[in-house]
Amino acid sequence: MSVANQTEETSLSKNLDWDVLWERYGIAVVLIIGWIFAYFFVPKFSNPDNMLNVIRQSAFVGCAAVGMTVAIISGTFDLSVGSTLALSAYLGVMVVSRTENIPIAMLVTVLVAMAVGAVNGFLITRVKIPAFITTLGMLFIVRGLSFIISKGGEPVRYNGKAFTWWGNGSLFGIPTPFLVLVICALAAWFILTRTAFGRYVFSIGTNSNAAKVAGVPVDSTTSWIFIVVGLFTGVSAFLIGSRLYSAGPGLEPGFELNVIAAVVLGGTRLAGGRGSMLGTVAACILYATMGNVLNLLHADAFFQRVAVGLVLLLALSIEGIRQRMFERASRQISTAE
Amino acid sequence: MKKTMTKIWKSYSIGVVVVIVGIVLSLLTPRFMSMSNLLNVMTNASLVAIMGLGMTLAIASGNFDLSVGSTAALAGCISFSLVPSIGVPASIVAGLAAGAIVGFINGLIITELRVPAFIATLGMMTIIRGVALIYTDGKDLYLFGQTEYKILSGAYLFGIPTPIFFAVGIALLLGFVISQTRFGRHILAMGSNLSASERSGIPTSRVLWAIFSIVGATAALSGMIISSQVLTANGRLASGIELSAIAVVVLGGTALSGGQATMVGTLLGALLISMVNNGLNLLNVPIFYQELTVGVLMLGALAVNISQGFDIRSLFRRQA
Repeated sequence: MSVANQTEETSLSKNLDWDVLWERYGIAVVLIIGWIFAYFFVPKFSNPDNMLNVIRQSAFVGCAAVGMTVAIISGTFDLSVGSTLALSAYLGVMVVSRTENIPIAMLVTVLVAMAVGAVNGFLITRVKIPAFITTLGMLFIVRGLSFIISKGGEPVRYNGKAFTWWGNGSLFGIPTPFLVLVICALAAWFILTRTAFGRYVFSIGTNSNAAKVAGVPVDSTTSWIFIVVGLFTGVSAFLIGSRLYSAGPGLEPGFELNVIAAVVLGGTRLAGGRGSMLGTVAACILYATMGNVLNLLHADAFFQRVAVGLVLLLALSIEGIRQRMFERASRQISTAE
Repeated sequence: MKKTMTKIWKSYSIGVVVVIVGIVLSLLTPRFMSMSNLLNVMTNASLVAIMGLGMTLAIASGNFDLSVGSTAALAGCISFSLVPSIGVPASIVAGLAAGAIVGFINGLIITELRVPAFIATLGMMTIIRGVALIYTDGKDLYLFGQTEYKILSGAYLFGIPTPIFFAVGIALLLGFVISQTRFGRHILAMGSNLSASERSGIPTSRVLWAIFSIVGATAALSGMIISSQVLTANGRLASGIELSAIAVVVLGGTALSGGQATMVGTLLGALLISMVNNGLNLLNVPIFYQELTVGVLMLGALAVNISQGFDIRSLFRRQA
C-alpha cells in the first residue's frame, strides 16, 4: 500500500516536471529540430536569404502575439486585435502618405491601437461586461469603423523608401521586423518578470479573487493589460502596413485567432497564470517556418491550413495524453493490489 | 416580487427590444413592414440562427464551437458535389452527416485528448477550412439546372419559407430537449459545474459528443441553405461566421458562463441583427455600417442586461 503510494507520488512529481518543461521549452526544441531537418532535407531552405525571410515573416503576427501573451497570462484574451490592426494600420499609412513623416505615422498607429485597448479596458472594468463579449463586440465595431473611415474599403498606399524599410529592410543583415519583434518580446519579458505590474498579471491569471483580496489593483491592471495589447498590436500594424506598402480596412481577417493560436502553441495556458514569451516567439517562427517549408515543397496552399491546425492540436494534446496515460497507470497500480 | 420582475425583464428584454426596433423601423420606412420584406428579414435571420441554436447548446454546456463556419463550408461543398451521383435528398443527408461527424471529432478531441474546447475547435476551424478548400480544389461548385436543391432556401413548407421553418422548428425542438429531457438537464448541469456533474454520474463525455454532433449538424444545415440560395458552394463559404453565431447567442441572453440557455432568445437575437441591417439598407445607409451595428447592439444589450449586479431600473431611480 505504502509502496504503491510512493510510486504514485514520485511518478506524479516526475510527470509534472516533464509537463512544465514541455510547456516552457517544448516549442523551442521542436523549432530547433524542425530547422535542423529543414536545413538538410528541404531544398533551398538552407539559402540564407530564405531563412532570413522566414524570421522576417514571423514578426508580423509575432508582435501582436507578444501583447496577447500578456493578456492570456492574466486569464483573458482580446478578440478585437484583428480589427484594431486594420484600423490603426489604415490610419498610420494614411498619415504617412499625407505628411511623409514616419515618427508621427508610427505614433498615430500605436496610439490608435492603444486607444481601442483603453476602450476595451473601460468596458470590461467599469461597465463590467465580460472580456470575451467586450472584445467580440469591439471586433465588429472597430472593423466597421475602419470601413466607415475609408468610405467603403479603398486601401491607402505609400511607398516611400524610409517607410517601407521597416517592413522590408534589414539592419546589420537582420530583417528589421524581426529586430522589432525581439525588442518587443524582451520589453514584455522584462515587464512581466521584473516589475510589480508583471507580478499583478500573473497573480490575476492564477486566481483573480485571491489577487483582489491580497490588494492587487485588479481593475486598473486589467485596463493596462488591454492597453498593452493595443500597443503591441499597433507595432504589428505599422510593420504590416510598411511591408505591404498599403493598408485597407479589410486587412487580415481572422488575425485574432491566428495570434491566439500562436500564443497557445507557445505554451501559454488559456486558463491563465502561466506563460512564456520565449514560447510565443518560437511558435511564431515555427508557423512561419511551416508555411515556408510547405511552399518550398510545393504543397498545396490549402494543405497549409490543415497542417497549421494539426500542429496546434498535436502540441496541445500531448499534455492531455500524458495525463490520461498517467491516470491509467495509477489505476493499474491500485487494481494490482 | 422585485426578483421576479428582474427575472421577467431579463428573459423578455430581447423581445421588447425587437418590438421597439420593429416599430421604429416601420415608422422610419414604410417598406419595412411589407410582407415580402419581413419574410426576407426572417430568412436572413434564419441563416445565422440555425447554427446559433446549435451553438446555444454548446455555450449552455460551458463550451464554444469556433469551427462552425468551416463546417458549414465543408458540408455545403460535400452535398453539392454529391448531387449528380446520389440526388438531392440523399446529398442533403450526406451534408448533415458530414457536419455531425466533424462535430463528433471535435467532441473526441475535447474529451479524449483533453484539449480545451476553445483550442480544439480553433484548430479544427483551420483544418476543416483547409479540407473544404482541398476537396473543391479552391473552385466554385455550381448546380446548374438542379433547382431541386432550392428546396432548402426557396421553397415553402406549410406556407412558410423553408429556412424560417427550419429555424423555428429547430428552436422548438432544442428548446424542448434542453428543458424537458434528461439529456438537456445533463447539458445544463455540465455548464453549471462540470466536475460535480462528473461525480454525480453524468456520462459527460457522451453528452459532449452529442452536443458537438448537434452543433456540427446545425452548422451544416446553415451552410447548405446559404449555398442553396445562390446554387453555388465553395470552400470560402461562411468565413468568419463563427463569431457572428456566438454574438447572436449572447445577444439572445444565454450566459457565456454556461448552465443556462434560451433558444427563443437566440432566434430573437438573430432577428434583431437582421432587422437592423435590413432597416439600414432601406434607409440607404452604406453597407459597411452594418458590422458596426452588430457590435454596438451586442455591447449595448450586454451593458444593460447580462452584466451581473447591474439593475437597469437604477437608471430611472434617482432618489433611492
